[in-house]
Amino acid sequence: MATASAVGKPMTPEEKKVIFASSLGTVFEWYDFYLYGTLAVIIGNQFFSALDPASRTIFSLLAFAAGFIVRPFGALVFGRLGDMIGRKYTFLVTILIMGLSTFIVGLLPSYASIGIAAPVILIGLRMLQGLALGGEYGGAATYVAEHAPHGKRGAFTSWIQTTATLGLFLSLLVILGTRTLIGEAAFADWGWRVPFLLSVVLLGVSVWIRLSMNESPAFKKMKEEGKTSKAPLTESFGKWKNLKIVILALVGLTAGQAVVWYTGQFYALFFLTGALKVDAATANIMIALSLIIGTPFFIVFGTLSDKIGRKPIIMAGCLIAALTYFPLFNALTEAANPDLAAAQAKNKVVVTADPAECSFQFNPTGTAKFTSSCDIAKQVLSAGSVSYDNVEGTGPAKISIGDKVIESYAATGLPADEVKKKDAAFKGAVSAALKEAGYPAKADPAKMNKPLIVAILTLLVIYVTMVYGPIAAMLVEMFPTRIRYTSMSLPYHIGNGWFGGLLPATGLAIVAQTGNMYNGLWYPIIIALMTFVVGMLFVKETKDVDIYAKD
Amino acid sequence: MWKLVLGFVAFAVLALWMLSQGGDIDMSGEKHSVDAGPAASAASH
Repeated sequence: MATASAVGKPMTPEEKKVIFASSLGTVFEWYDFYLYGTLAVIIGNQFFSALDPASRTIFSLLAFAAGFIVRPFGALVFGRLGDMIGRKYTFLVTILIMGLSTFIVGLLPSYASIGIAAPVILIGLRMLQGLALGGEYGGAATYVAEHAPHGKRGAFTSWIQTTATLGLFLSLLVILGTRTLIGEAAFADWGWRVPFLLSVVLLGVSVWIRLSMNESPAFKKMKEEGKTSKAPLTESFGKWKNLKIVILALVGLTAGQAVVWYTGQFYALFFLTGALKVDAATANIMIALSLIIGTPFFIVFGTLSDKIGRKPIIMAGCLIAALTYFPLFNALTEAANPDLAAAQAKNKVVVTADPAECSFQFNPTGTAKFTSSCDIAKQVLSAGSVSYDNVEGTGPAKISIGDKVIESYAATGLPADEVKKKDAAFKGAVSAALKEAGYPAKADPAKMNKPLIVAILTLLVIYVTMVYGPIAAMLVEMFPTRIRYTSMSLPYHIGNGWFGGLLPATGLAIVAQTGNMYNGLWYPIIIALMTFVVGMLFVKETKDVDIYAKD
Repeated sequence: MWKLVLGFVAFAVLALWMLSQGGDIDMSGEKHSVDAGPAASAASH
């Protein structure tokens, strides 16, 4: 067991192996998980396109649930297992489940071959992926932290913190590589299976490495002394003394971390392509570049937290992010699409509508339909990144752009082809008026200040590294060995799965509701500030905690 | 350590080169809709 401080000593080969084995496996887990999300359109075509719209909606919700909502349940199942039978075997199980489900997706016949069984099995496999992911992270972080010498836990676990980003890159590279080798058409037809099938090789490597690892010394000792928990779930969440800490870990740490992560890593991309109309290829390269530049900072901040504390870095990240998101995203607009910034400043657009028919357009899976005249008007304007004021009125919604007034239409109850006709007419009128008012349809590449955009994006990623780098160590240090895997996994996956996963949909809904494309930022800002306040007041610094003291 | 740095830089260069070869890449990695993600519908037309 390593309780004496080892600051200053170089890493032993055994320690390096522990970090490498855990991190590699976790990268592969993220690779497996991201494949599905990245290839969602092709998967949609192969498995869901022949279904009727109602079924599609249901499957869509299930797929979303599998990706996010299910993760905390995985945390409970595998956390419990890990605290009862050991970290090593549990996180062998999680990687086996993840790897095999991914591999089977690659083999799964499409809807055209086996009918409704195909999407049903697919969703089942996706659920398994969500469960496995829920179990993986807690295991990897706990395993590495329990091997790390005291005083180096932040540095050691920071390697795990790079794995999600690396996993994302790996999935993209494999997809692109396959696509380049066999061509677009073949890829859409059968080639998309290759990245899934490749997973079995990654699985083989991970299993082989993990089998050769030793159980964490802390757990081994506990097992030998017969002190393992018989009921980790009850002990973790049934006793207020520990439940209180779990709740604090969520509200005072992971919720804020998750929204900062999602804003920097994903919302920034939505904003560039959706709000600022930057073309997808350019936007994605810039995001990729910012992620690459930012990734080493996970290690920097994790290591720094061993010296100056975990709390200062995580809290600073939350606070600085909350205070600077508005200025940074405004700067992003000026840098990426200055014409848009100018048009928004110059023209006053007003939506006059009956408030009774304006919905809050929360749409996590993109399949909800909003059909009132108010909703349609707002959707069209939000899609055009137009800032608008809301005025109460009666009758069908009207959009005023300068002195032009355009009436919206209600799609409720109308046959599909009539909706299409009205939609085209409405959008045509609005686009023409917007064009006259100086709103650009696309961001002009010639006017884009790319270095500045990348700099801003990189700063957003640096915030991510500040809140995420030290968090593995901190979560480990908050709980005793006997219930550590269970207790730390749940707040992590509720924070990241629920608070984080729902960020894009919540942001978009707020934007449509309020008519200002920056207002989506309020969601991460409020959550990050909540975490800052709760964290500062109630969460104790943990870097000097002896993680075996309560065993 | 320097081996890692070198490895990472090599990976980064390869990644950026491959991504810049075009094709439709998506760094969001977490679309879940079976039609198209919320961003796509909001960003359309």
